[in-house]
Amino acid sequence: MPISSPALLDTRYPLETPEGVDLLLQPAGLLPRLLAFLVDLIIRGGIVLLFSIALVSLGRFGWGLWSICFFLISWWYPVLFEVLWQGRTPGKHYMGLRVVHADGTPIGWSASLIRNLLRTVDMLPLFYSAGIISLLFSQRLQRIGDLAANTLVVYREAPLNSAPLPEAPEVIPPHSLQLDEQLAILDYAERFAQLSPERRQELADILCPSLKLRPEHAQASLLGMARFLRGHA
Amino acid sequence: MQLNNAQVVIRPRSPWEAVDLGTHLARQHAGLLISAQFLAMAAVLGVLSLVLMDYPTVVALIFWWLKPLYDRLPLFILSRALFGERPTLKQALRAWPSQMKAQWFANLTWRRFSPWRSFHLPVTQLEGLNGKPRTARLNVLSMRNSQPAAALTIVGVHLEIVLYFALFALVGMLLPPEVYDGWDFNPSDWLDDEPLWFAHLTNWLYLLVLAVWEPFYVAGGFTLYLNRRTELEAWDTELTFRRIAERLQKGSAALLLCAVCLLPALYSPSSLAAEGLCLPPSSEQLPPEERLLNQALTSQASEKAIHALLDEPPFSNPTTEYELKWGEDEPEKEKTAERDGKTPWWLKWLINSWKNSGGIARAFEVLLWLVVLSALAWLLWHYRHWLADFVGRLQNLKPAVRQRPTTLFGLELDSDSLPDDLAAAAEALWPNDPRQALSLLYRGLLVHLLDEHQVAIKNSHTEYEVLGLINAQQLPQLARYASNLTRHWINLAYGHQLPAASVGPALCQAWRIVLKAAAPLTAPATQAASA
Repeated sequence: MPISSPALLDTRYPLETPEGVDLLLQPAGLLPRLLAFLVDLIIRGGIVLLFSIALVSLGRFGWGLWSICFFLISWWYPVLFEVLWQGRTPGKHYMGLRVVHADGTPIGWSASLIRNLLRTVDMLPLFYSAGIISLLFSQRLQRIGDLAANTLVVYREAPLNSAPLPEAPEVIPPHSLQLDEQLAILDYAERFAQLSPERRQELADILCPSLKLRPEHAQASLLGMARFLRGHA
Repeated sequence: MQLNNAQVVIRPRSPWEAVDLGTHLARQHAGLLISAQFLAMAAVLGVLSLVLMDYPTVVALIFWWLKPLYDRLPLFILSRALFGERPTLKQALRAWPSQMKAQWFANLTWRRFSPWRSFHLPVTQLEGLNGKPRTARLNVLSMRNSQPAAALTIVGVHLEIVLYFALFALVGMLLPPEVYDGWDFNPSDWLDDEPLWFAHLTNWLYLLVLAVWEPFYVAGGFTLYLNRRTELEAWDTELTFRRIAERLQKGSAALLLCAVCLLPALYSPSSLAAEGLCLPPSSEQLPPEERLLNQALTSQASEKAIHALLDEPPFSNPTTEYELKWGEDEPEKEKTAERDGKTPWWLKWLINSWKNSGGIARAFEVLLWLVVLSALAWLLWHYRHWLADFVGRLQNLKPAVRQRPTTLFGLELDSDSLPDDLAAAAEALWPNDPRQALSLLYRGLLVHLLDEHQVAIKNSHTEYEVLGLINAQQLPQLARYASNLTRHWINLAYGHQLPAASVGPALCQAWRIVLKAAAPLTAPATQAASA
């Protein structure tokens, strides 16, 4: 659905490409990002634990190897995953997130390195507090590392799947309708099953006078219009 | 409630996104929310601290327990602000006591530890439901959203703790050492019996944390609730339906006439037929059919010809490649042999040496340092030009050595090939061989320019470009002389036009004057010879 007014608050952040196409990025907030971080933390902890068990018998050499592994896992785990796996770490993948540049392009080495190295700043003074505060108060939900690298953590787009429409004979809309209006009628039909019977009638009543529908047939007519608008796939 | 006035975009969102909307909403009104929350809580905490001055821990516990009451205030502000009726700070604080009343006892007792506190609060406070209707309503609302709502509360609890300790750490970091040097600070003592003022200070720090976080928490629950209702009641559909109704009714008077005329045309049987029209299945899907059999080139023959053409280059380029491969049987055997036998010797050796000593650790340490050093060396080498340009070596900022051409226009430009006294030599040559004489003078001029004036003459320059370079030298006498000489030289060299007999001696004479004047640094030997 098009954005009705730029003044209204929304979780989407429109981005116009040079071709005049509006891309909608949806920056993700504290909750999913925190949970993604926890998942990553558990995975990283698990890997480090495995290494510890495997390397503990090797004495000094084992300690050396362990330190190297620990370094790689704490600093390179997010960078490598983000750059090589379309901006996702396993935690972000699990939560349906990914990292992109603020202009919507896939994240590259330099941006990923900057945003992950600046975790040291976000961690200040304890437990990522600076990052949390920055995220809560920044326009596009960015922590300090994101601001420095000009990156966003966004929701991955879910694949579009249209719900089946309820059975009804096709009806041709008596007026020509604009795109968002057609979508609203389709939406009505798709969500028909979830609405309470009273609400179905209430919504249909809004359109009765203008579309010249009789109240008792209004619901069926709207469903029919939706079927007409969707067409035959 | 007027949906049209909503200050946010109303559409169904995923629960996580709904909480994000709460963050945005709280940030938009952060000033009002935080100050209202701070003032309300400060009043409570102030009274509690005064009454229970000697029991700061009890104060903290009661203050914390009363949290559901403070939540009413941000929710009141948010619910008004959402529909464009943002209250002022004064109005909000004044409305707070009346907002607290509804079901306060339940909220402070058995619902105090509900993980869905902020999600359920709008039902209690805004819808005013109680008892069975409330339970039924919550059941419907929580169907898909209980998990994120609980996550919000659990994250909130941790966040409060984290921010609380972070605030302590921040204060500690910023205190200059002079302040606490004099203190008799021993953490283990304080655990048993902390000073009273310090306990009260921690309460107030906790209040600061709550003032910032609580509005975000309440807003998250509120937008989750809004989102669920948007989903259940199709608010966005209602908004668009209302827009349709408005648009059509506004235009209906004007459109009535048009509609009457146009609608039958728009949806006439013919247009419907056109819509129902099906294209015949495309030819690709049809099985090949034998056609055109009664002519010289039948369809079969033409198809054969086409296939033959398609099998030839450039449509198809079959190539034969040979490559060497290891015999496939033997390695298999070897591998199995190895697997059958005991541990290979090198693995044994490796394990033994690992176990026995730090020797191999030492070796790896050296190896790693070598890697670091070579990486450093590689970096230096890689950026050598950058370093040369931007780091140090200021004393070497000499002008680049100019490449001096050895010949110009086929004339040799070696100062050694010129006679010592050029003017005299040219004068001597003039009567018999004026061409040689002029060439000598011109060469002399070029050498003079290159040696004495460092004129940047290149191989590619023409005679006239050289003149231009001389003009740029700001030596009018030399420039005039050079243009005179060049003109005569060009006429003679390319045009085979001999200058008048008097020109030669005049040029030689002028040479002595002009070049001496233009170049005061000329060697004294030349001066002596010309004198």
